[in-house]
Amino acid sequence: MSGQPFYKKESLRNGISRRAFLLKAGIVTSGILLSGCIKKIKPGNSYKNIKGSIKGPNAKAGHILRDKTPLPVPTEARKVKTLIIGSGISGLSAARWLKIQGHHDFELIELEDHIGGNSHSGSNAVSSYPLGAHYVTIANNEDELLLDFFQECGAITHYEKGLPVYDEYYLCFDPEERLLINGQWQEGLVPDFGIKPEDRDQIKRFFRLIDNLKQAKGTDGRYAFDIPLDNSSADEKFRDLDKSSFKEYLKQEGYTSPYLLWYLNYCCKDDYGQQTDKVSAWAGLHYFAARRGKAANAESNAVLTWPEGNGWLMKKLAEGVKEHVKQGAICYHIATVPNGGIIARMLDLKTNKTYTIEAEKAILATPQFVNQKIFEGAPKRGFSLDKLHYSPWFIANITLNNLPQGKGAGLCWDNVPYNTASVGYVNANQQHVNAVENKKVITYYLPLCDYEPRVARLAAYTRTYQQWLDIVIPELEYIHPGITDNIEQVDGWIWGHGMIAPDVNYIWGADRKNAQQPIDGSLFFAHTDLSGISIFEEAFHQGIKAAKQVLSSYV
Amino acid sequence: MNKKLHVLLLLSVFVVATCGLIYELIAGTLASYLLGDSVTQFSTIIGAYLFSMGIGSWVSKYFEKNIVYWFIQLEILVGIVGGTSSTILFLVFENAASFRIILYSLVGLTGILVGLEIPLLMRILKDRYEFKDLVSRVFTFDYIGALLASLVFPLLLIPYLGLVKTSYLVGILNVTVALIVCVNFKKEVKAAAYLQTSAIISILGLLIGFVYATTITSYAESMTYSDTIIYSKSTSYQRIVLTKKGKVLRLFLNGNLQFSSDDEYRYHEALVHPGLQALPGAKDILVMGGGDGLAVREILRYPQIRSVTLVDLDKGMTELFKSNTMLLALNKRSLLSPKVKVINADAFTWTREQKRKFDFIVIDFPDPSNFSVGKLYTNTFYSLVKEMLAPNGIMVVQSTSPYVAPKSFWTVDKTLRSVGLHTIPYHNYVPSFGDWGYVMATKNITYKKPDHYLPGMRFISAGGLNQMLYFPPDMARVETEVNKLNNQVLVKYFEDEWAAVL
Repeated sequence: MSGQPFYKKESLRNGISRRAFLLKAGIVTSGILLSGCIKKIKPGNSYKNIKGSIKGPNAKAGHILRDKTPLPVPTEARKVKTLIIGSGISGLSAARWLKIQGHHDFELIELEDHIGGNSHSGSNAVSSYPLGAHYVTIANNEDELLLDFFQECGAITHYEKGLPVYDEYYLCFDPEERLLINGQWQEGLVPDFGIKPEDRDQIKRFFRLIDNLKQAKGTDGRYAFDIPLDNSSADEKFRDLDKSSFKEYLKQEGYTSPYLLWYLNYCCKDDYGQQTDKVSAWAGLHYFAARRGKAANAESNAVLTWPEGNGWLMKKLAEGVKEHVKQGAICYHIATVPNGGIIARMLDLKTNKTYTIEAEKAILATPQFVNQKIFEGAPKRGFSLDKLHYSPWFIANITLNNLPQGKGAGLCWDNVPYNTASVGYVNANQQHVNAVENKKVITYYLPLCDYEPRVARLAAYTRTYQQWLDIVIPELEYIHPGITDNIEQVDGWIWGHGMIAPDVNYIWGADRKNAQQPIDGSLFFAHTDLSGISIFEEAFHQGIKAAKQVLSSYV
Repeated sequence: MNKKLHVLLLLSVFVVATCGLIYELIAGTLASYLLGDSVTQFSTIIGAYLFSMGIGSWVSKYFEKNIVYWFIQLEILVGIVGGTSSTILFLVFENAASFRIILYSLVGLTGILVGLEIPLLMRILKDRYEFKDLVSRVFTFDYIGALLASLVFPLLLIPYLGLVKTSYLVGILNVTVALIVCVNFKKEVKAAAYLQTSAIISILGLLIGFVYATTITSYAESMTYSDTIIYSKSTSYQRIVLTKKGKVLRLFLNGNLQFSSDDEYRYHEALVHPGLQALPGAKDILVMGGGDGLAVREILRYPQIRSVTLVDLDKGMTELFKSNTMLLALNKRSLLSPKVKVINADAFTWTREQKRKFDFIVIDFPDPSNFSVGKLYTNTFYSLVKEMLAPNGIMVVQSTSPYVAPKSFWTVDKTLRSVGLHTIPYHNYVPSFGDWGYVMATKNITYKKPDHYLPGMRFISAGGLNQMLYFPPDMARVETEVNKLNNQVLVKYFEDEWAAVL
C-alpha cells in the first residue's frame, strides 16, 4: 500500500496508530495471559460442572490468508461461467438470484465446512440455537424482492387486503422483551420502571422524532431512511447526519437522560456491535426509522425468529442452490484477466491441493478485509481498509436445567439487563410450542466494544474457556442470582470480525462507494460491509444487486 | 419395691393407654383421609385394632420369664412401629393396590403390641398389689389415659402438629416410658444396658423423624389449603395436591383447584354431554388435558364409543388416576378401560403431528394463567385442532368463567371463530368454581340440541341446556382480540380479570 501516493498521509498516521495498537494489544493480552497463569497456579473458582468449549470461524483459513503461507503452484484447472466466493447471506442470495433468472452455470465456494456465514447455527438435545444473527424484522411493504423471498420460503403464507400474512410459528411469540432495571424485570426494552418524569419526557421526545423520521422524505422523494439503505434519500439534510457520531448528535439535540442514552447505546451495541460514539448519527437513527413494515396479522415492526435464528432463513435461501456449493475450499488469490474473465486460485482444505478456477465473472461475497488479501488488484479499488471497522462479538449458548425467576415480568424472547457489558440473552426455546420445557438454551450476546476492534479481537482470541466463563457467569449471576447451579453447558463462539460497524462518514463517504465498484466488468462485490449495516436485508439485497450486475454484463 | 416405683409403673399404664388409643385414632383418621368413608374406616380400624389387642393379650401368656425385660422391649417396639406408621402409610399411599394390606398390617401389629402391654404390666405389678387393687388401679389409669387421648388428639395434636408429627411424638413418649422403666429397674432387668441403648437410639431416630416430618407435607403448604392434604407430589411439570375434608376430595395443580368431588359432575356433565349426546354416531374421541379421567368417565357412558385418546402432559397425573383406589372410585376406573389410550405428551406438539380425525374433541386445559398454557388457547392451536375434527364433529373447550372473566371467555369464543369454526358458547354453575363457561365449536352449522340424555345424569337435561345457552347481560359477549402466539392477549385479560376478584 505504501507505494500508492493516494494513501501516503494515511499510512503515516497508520504508523503511529500501529505502535499505539501494539502497545495496547500488548497490555491487554498480557493481562489476560497473566490472569490465566494465576488461575492455573491457584485454581479454585472453576466451574467444574459446566461443559463446553470455545469455537469460531475456521482459524486455519484465516492464517493462510493473513500470513500468506506459501502454497504449491496449482496444476489442475477447471472452468465455470460465474464464480461466487463466500456462502453468507450475500453469496447465497446472489446464487439464488442467478438460479431464478435461469443462469445455472455457477459455483459457490465456501471455506468453512458449513454455509451461512453469520447466520450459522448449532443445536443440542434441548434446542437449536443461533451462533450469530437471530432475527429479521418483517419486510417494508415496498421491498418486493424481500417479500417475494419471504413468500417463497413460507415465512409469508398469503396476503389479506394487500398486507402479508406471516406464518404464526415464525412471528416472535409473546412475551417478546423485558428489561431488568432498578431491581425488577419490566415489559419492553425502553426504560420505564422507576425512572423520573424528566427521563420519560425525553424518551417521548425521541420517539416522536423517530415517528417523524420514519415518514420523512428527502427532496428527491425518497424515504430519509430505507432498507436497503442505498434506497435512502440523497438529500444532504439527512446524509449530513453521517458526518457526526450518534453520541455527538444526541448531545447537540439536548438528550441528556441517562436512561434514554443507555437505551440508544444498547441499541447500537445490539445492532452494530459498537457504542454511540463509534456509530454515525445517520446509522443510529436508521436503526429506528427505516422499518415501516406492516402485516395483516402482526404489529408494525414485528419480528420473525426461529430457534436456530437466521439459520432458518439461510437454509431456505440455500435450498435451491445446494448442488452449486463447494465447501472446505478457500480462494487464496483472485485476479482479473486482461482480455476479460477472472482466475481464482483455490486450496482444498481437506486434501491441501491447490487448483485454479477460470470464470467469466466472479462475485466476491466476502468481507473487504479478506478481499484486500486475495484480490490482486485491491490497491486499485480506491478505499482504505482502515475505514472499515469490524466489531468483534462473543456469543455463548447456555444450556440451563432451570431459570431462576426474578421479580417482575417472566421470561421473554429478548431479555436485557440495564447497564451491563452484554446486550442480554435470547431464549432459543421461545418458538417451541411445548407448554412446559424444563431445559432451555439461552443465547448470550456480548459485543466486544470496550477497546478498539483490533485490540478487542486479539484479546478475545487470547482468552481461555475458563476466562470466558469468568466473564459470562458473573454477569448471568447478576441477572439471575443462583443461576450457576442450573448451568449445564456453555458453548462459546467468537466472531473476530462479527459485523461491519457504521462509523462516522462510512455509509455516505467515498470509501464505501468506491469499494462497491465492480472491477473490469468481470469482478463484482456483495457483502454487508459494502452497506455499512450488517442485517439480513442488506446482505440479501447486496447479493441480488451483484447477481443483477453479473447478468447484465453478459448481455 | 418402693413407692416411687409403684407410681412409675402406674404412670406408664397411663401413658401406654394414651399412646395406644392415639395410634388407633391415627390409623382411623389416616384411613378415612386417604380412603374416604370415615364411618367404615373408623369402624373397621377400631374393630381390627381391638381384635389385635385381643391377640396380644392371648399371646402374653407365652411370656414366662424376664417380664420386665419384655415389657421394655415391647414399649420400644410399639414406639417405633406406631411412631413411623403414618409416615409409612403416606408414602405407600401412591401404590394404592397394596395400601390396605399395609394399613391393616400396621394396625394389627400395633394392636398386638399394645395388647401385650397391659397384661404384662399387670403381671409385673401382681406381687406388689392385691388383686382387687391391681385391677382397679390399672384399669382406672387405662381409662383415664383413653379419655386424655381422645381429647388431646382432635383438640391439640392434629391442629398443631398434624398426623405425621403426632405419631412421632407419641412414639417418643412410648419409648421414653421404656427408658425410664429400664433405668429404674436396672437391677431387676437383664441386659439393661442393651435396652437402654436401643431405647436411646430409637428416641433419637423418632426425633429425627419428628423434625423432618415437615418435608412430607410442608407446614407452609398445609396452611395454603383449608382442607387436609392427603397427597402431594411434585412431578416434572407441576405440583399435585389432593385434599380431603369430610367426604369431599379436591385436586389442586400448582395451587389451582381442578375439581372438587362433590360437584365435579356438574362440570364434567356440562363439558361432555351437550356435544357428545348430539353426535349419536361418534366413535373416536379425543380428550386433551383432563388427566383425572373424569371427562373420560362421562364419555365412556356411550356404548357406541370405539376409542378414547387422552393426551395429558403429566404421567405423574395419569398414573395417579390409574392406580389410587379412592381416585379410581371417582373416575370409575375410566383410564383403565381397554377403549382408552393414554398418551403423555405435550398437546401442541402432539396435535401438530396428528393425521387422525376425531368425532368429538374435549379440550380441558388448565386456565390460561401463564404464557406457557396460553399457547394452547391460540388461533394457531385451534386451527391444528380443526384439522383433527371430523367433518361433522364437535369440539368443546373449557373457557374459564364468563362471569368473573368475560373478556377471557369471549376471547376463546372469538379465537375459535377466527379459524373458521362456528361456536356455541354456554355456561353453568359449579359451586366450587362459580359460573363456568364452555365453548363448543363445529366446522359447519349443524349443531342440534339433544332432546334427551342418557339415564343417570345428575345435572344435564334438555331443558337445562336451554338455560346454559342463555347469557344474561352481566356476561354478555364483549368484543376482544383474537388470541395469538405473538400477542397472548388471553393471558393478559385473564390475569387482569382474576386479579380483580382474588
